[in-house]
Amino acid sequence: MNVTAPIEEREFKIVGKSVKRDDVLEKVTGEAEYTGDVKLPGMLHGKIKRAATAHARIKSIDVSKALAYPGVKAVLTHENVPRVLHYGSPHPRSASCTKDQYILDDKVRFWGEGVAAVAAISEEIADEALDLIEVEYEPLPAVFEPEDAAQPGAPLIHNVGPGGNLVLDPVRVNRGDIDAGFAQADFVLEGTFSGGRPHPAYMEPNVCIADWDGSNKLTFRTSTQTAFMVRGILAEVLGLPLTKVRVLVDHMGGGFGAKQDCFQHEFLCALLAKETRRPVKMEFTRHETFVAGRSRHPCKVWLKQGFKNDGTLVARDMKLVYDSGAYGSHGPGVTIVGTNAATSLYRCENVRLEGRCVYTNTPINGAFRGYGVVQSYYALDIQMDEAAERLGMDPAELKLKNVVRAGDIAPSGHPILGHGLEICLQHGIDVLDWKKLRNRDRTPDPKHPHISKGWGIGCEMHGSSAYPGIKEQGNATVKVNEDGTVTLLTGAAGLGTGAHTALAQIVAEELGVRFEDVGIIHGDTDVVPWDIGAFASHTTYLVGTAAKMAATKVRGAVLERAAMKLQVTPGEIDLSEGRIFVTAEPGRFMTVAEAMGPSRGIPAANIVANGTYEPTKSYSFAAHFTEVDVDTETGIVEVKRVIPVHDIGRVIHPIAAQGQIEGGIQQGIGHTLTEDYIIDKKTGRSLNAGLVDYKMPLSMDMPDIETIILEAAPDPGGPWGAKGVGEDPIIAIGPAIANAIHDAIGVRFHHYPITPEDILKALREKGA
Amino acid sequence: MKRIVELTINGEPRDMTVDTCRSLLDALRDDVGLTGTKKGCDVGDCGACTVIVDGEPVNACLMLAVEAEGRTVETVEGLQPGVDTLHPLQDAFMRHGASQCGFCTPGILMMAKKLLDDNPRPTNEDIRFGLSGNICRCTGYTKIFDAIKSAALEMEAARS
Ligand code: FES
Ligand code: FES
Repeated sequence: MNVTAPIEEREFKIVGKSVKRDDVLEKVTGEAEYTGDVKLPGMLHGKIKRAATAHARIKSIDVSKALAYPGVKAVLTHENVPRVLHYGSPHPRSASCTKDQYILDDKVRFWGEGVAAVAAISEEIADEALDLIEVEYEPLPAVFEPEDAAQPGAPLIHNVGPGGNLVLDPVRVNRGDIDAGFAQADFVLEGTFSGGRPHPAYMEPNVCIADWDGSNKLTFRTSTQTAFMVRGILAEVLGLPLTKVRVLVDHMGGGFGAKQDCFQHEFLCALLAKETRRPVKMEFTRHETFVAGRSRHPCKVWLKQGFKNDGTLVARDMKLVYDSGAYGSHGPGVTIVGTNAATSLYRCENVRLEGRCVYTNTPINGAFRGYGVVQSYYALDIQMDEAAERLGMDPAELKLKNVVRAGDIAPSGHPILGHGLEICLQHGIDVLDWKKLRNRDRTPDPKHPHISKGWGIGCEMHGSSAYPGIKEQGNATVKVNEDGTVTLLTGAAGLGTGAHTALAQIVAEELGVRFEDVGIIHGDTDVVPWDIGAFASHTTYLVGTAAKMAATKVRGAVLERAAMKLQVTPGEIDLSEGRIFVTAEPGRFMTVAEAMGPSRGIPAANIVANGTYEPTKSYSFAAHFTEVDVDTETGIVEVKRVIPVHDIGRVIHPIAAQGQIEGGIQQGIGHTLTEDYIIDKKTGRSLNAGLVDYKMPLSMDMPDIETIILEAAPDPGGPWGAKGVGEDPIIAIGPAIANAIHDAIGVRFHHYPITPEDILKALREKGA
Repeated sequence: MKRIVELTINGEPRDMTVDTCRSLLDALRDDVGLTGTKKGCDVGDCGACTVIVDGEPVNACLMLAVEAEGRTVETVEGLQPGVDTLHPLQDAFMRHGASQCGFCTPGILMMAKKLLDDNPRPTNEDIRFGLSGNICRCTGYTKIFDAIKSAALEMEAARS
C-alpha cells in the first residue's frame, strides 16, 4: 500500500527470467554447507534432558552421577544458568511479543520441555548421561485445551501476561455497525470451525554450534531464518554487547516460518560452550523437532454472517481462539494477524472480531507459513460456499461478487491496490470453464462406482511484510568492484526459496550489468547489513526494494566516473548489459570494468552504496481450484488436480515463484487431509512425533499442479511492482479442498484435517 | 569397540576406523568428511541419507558402517562425471528448480540415479513410486518429476 510513484515500465533483461541459482549448484553437488556439516576442532556434543510430565514444579534435580560419567564435560540446570525473563520471538521494534520464558526454570510447562543440558565428548555419551540426571517433580494440574485453560480457576501456567492463561489481551476489531448489519440481513449463517496442529516438518532438524574465543566473543552457527534476532536476544539474555555475538548461517534446510524463534537449546548450547571453553554442537533428533520445535496454532472459530438475498454480505461476527501451547512465542503476532485478516477477503462493512490466544500445557506453537490466516480464512471461505448453496448460486459467482477490490480497506488499514483477487478468480473460472464443470454429468464412472468427484474453490490474500504489527526495515549494500563485478551484501536468510537469486537479479537489472557479474554475501551478522529476517513473504518485496535503491545509487556513481573518463556529462551516457555508452553515439562506449579500473592518473575505484527501505504493506492474492476424488468405501480423499491462480505483482524469477506455490500446496494438502501433530489430552504426551506417524503428502500423493501466475496488481512498494508469494498458497488450498469434498459427497466439514474416518462417519450419518 | 573397515567410496579405495555401533551415515559424514549425504531423521523415515551400496539404494542411517566392509558406496559427491561437468540429473535439477532448501536433494539425486540406471525410460508412475521413500517438504515434487523426466531424455539422447 505504498502509494508512491507509478510503477516504472521497462524492457527487462534479467528480471522475469528463471536464471540459474548458484545456491542450487552447490546443493546438487553436495557442497552446500549446512550448520550440521560443520565440525570444529575439540567440538563437544550437547543434549537436552526433557521432562516426562506436562506441568510440574521441580523439587530437586541431582546431576552428580551425570557429571561423574566419563566423557561428560558440563551439566546445566535451572540452578546454574542465568535467570533472565525473555522473549521467545524477539521481533525488534514490535509490540507483538510476550516475555514469558527463562532459559531453564524450576517449573515444567509441557511434556518434553528441557530441564537440563549436558555437554560430552560424543553424542552417545551425552545421551547416556541424560539418563543419569535425577529429577524429582511435584506434579501440578495440567490443561491441554484452551477451553479448559480459560475456565475460571484453571491452573495458571504463567504468572506473567493478562492472567487467566491469556497470552495477550483479547484482540478486538470493530468496523461499521454490527447490529445494523444483521438487521439488514435476509438470512444468517452461523457455524463453528476448528483447525488441528500441523507441523512444518522442515527436512533439516534444528542445529547450532557455539564457540567462544579468548576475547569472550561468541560465534554462533545456527539454522535460523532470523540471524539478527537470534543475535539480539542472545546478547540481551547473556548480557553481551552486539559486537560480542556473531551469528552465522549459510544454507538451511527449510524453516517455513518455524525457525524464527530463539530456542531454548540455542541458549543452552551457548552456555555449555562457555562453561567448557570448547565448541559445542547441539542437533535435534527428528522427535525433538516436533516436541521442542514449533507448530501451527490449533484454533477454534465461531463465525456468524448475515447475507442479503442478492448475495451481499452485510455483517460478520467472529471469535477465534488460538492455542499457544506452553509459551507465547508468536502467539500475539498470530492472533493479531489472523484476527485482523478476517476484516477482509470478502468485503463486508459491518465487522466485529475477537481473537484470543491461550496458554495450554502442550508443546509450543509458533510462526508457520500462513501465520494465523490459514485458520481464519478456512472458516470465511467455507461459509461463503455455504451461503452460495443456500442462495442456490454458483459459489464462484458469489465469491466473485464479494471479493475485495481496489480501494477496499485491507487488514492493515490501507486501501487495496488493484483488483488482484477478482482477476485471479475470473481467470480460473475462464480457463477451467467452471460453469461446465459445475453442470457436468455427475453419474459415477461405472468402473469405479465408489468414487465421487468434486470441484472446489478457495480464495485468499496475504500481506508482504508484517506491517503494521512490525515496522519493518530492509537493508542492502551494493559494491561495484574495480573489475566491474558487483557484490551484494544482504542480511536476508537463504531458506532455499531463491530469494538471494531474486535480489541479485534486481541489482543486475537496475545497475545494468550481467546477472553472472553479481555475487552475494549473506549469513554473517558481523558483515552484512541488519535484516529483520526471512518471514512474512517479504524478502523480495522489502529487501528487493532496498537492493534496488542501493543499485540506483551505485549506478549513478559509476556513470559519473565513466562520464569523466569519456569526457562527457553523466546525462549523455547510459549503462546497459555492462556497457556504458554515449546515448547519441552508441559506438562510443566503455565497459563497467574499464570505468572502474585504473587509467592514466586515475586509480581504480570501488563504489559502495547502501539502500534502506521502510515499507508499509502490499497484498498478494490467489484463487485455488481443485478437483478431488472421494472414495466412499474407504473415506480416502485424493486431490487429483490443483489450478492455483496467483497475483504476485511483478515476477522476478518465475520458476522460484512457482516452486513456492507448489510447495505451499503440498503442505496445505497435508494440513487439510492427513497432518496433525497429536498431543494426548490426558497426559500431554506427543503421540506421533515422527515422520511416519505424522503423515505428509509425498511423491505418490501429489496431484498435478498447473500453476498460473498473473502480474495483475503490481504494488509500487516492491521492486517494479513485485510482491510476496511464500505464504499465499498454503492458505487457499485448504478451503478449496473442503469445498470440493462437499461438491463430491454433499457433506460439509468445518475442521482440518478431514480424515477418512470423518468422511465415513459423515457418509453414514447422511445415509441414515 | 573400534574396527577398521575397508571399502570403496565414489571409486576410491578407503579405510575408516569406526565404532562398531556407528551407522554408515555417521561414518560418511563424520569420519570420512563426506557431508553431502544428509541426516533428516536417523531412523529410516525420510530418505535424505540415501546412498548406493553395491548398486542398491540404501538408507545410510539404517546400515552399520561395519556392514559396508568390502563394498562399493556411491554418494552425491561422486555424481559429477568430471570437475567441471554435471551429471544430467544435477543439471536438470538446476534448470527445473527441483531443489529449494536442498536438504533432500542429495538423497533424491541418488535415488533418481538408481531409478534411471535401472529404467532409462520411466513413466510418471515409475518416478513417483521410485521416490516414495524420499521426503521433500519444499517443492511439492512437481519440479523434481520434471527434472527426472528431462534428465532421462537427455541421457537417452546421449546414448544414441
Ligand atoms: S536420515 Fe536416514 S532415512 Fe532419514
Ligand atoms: S528441497 Fe527442501 S526438502 Fe526438498
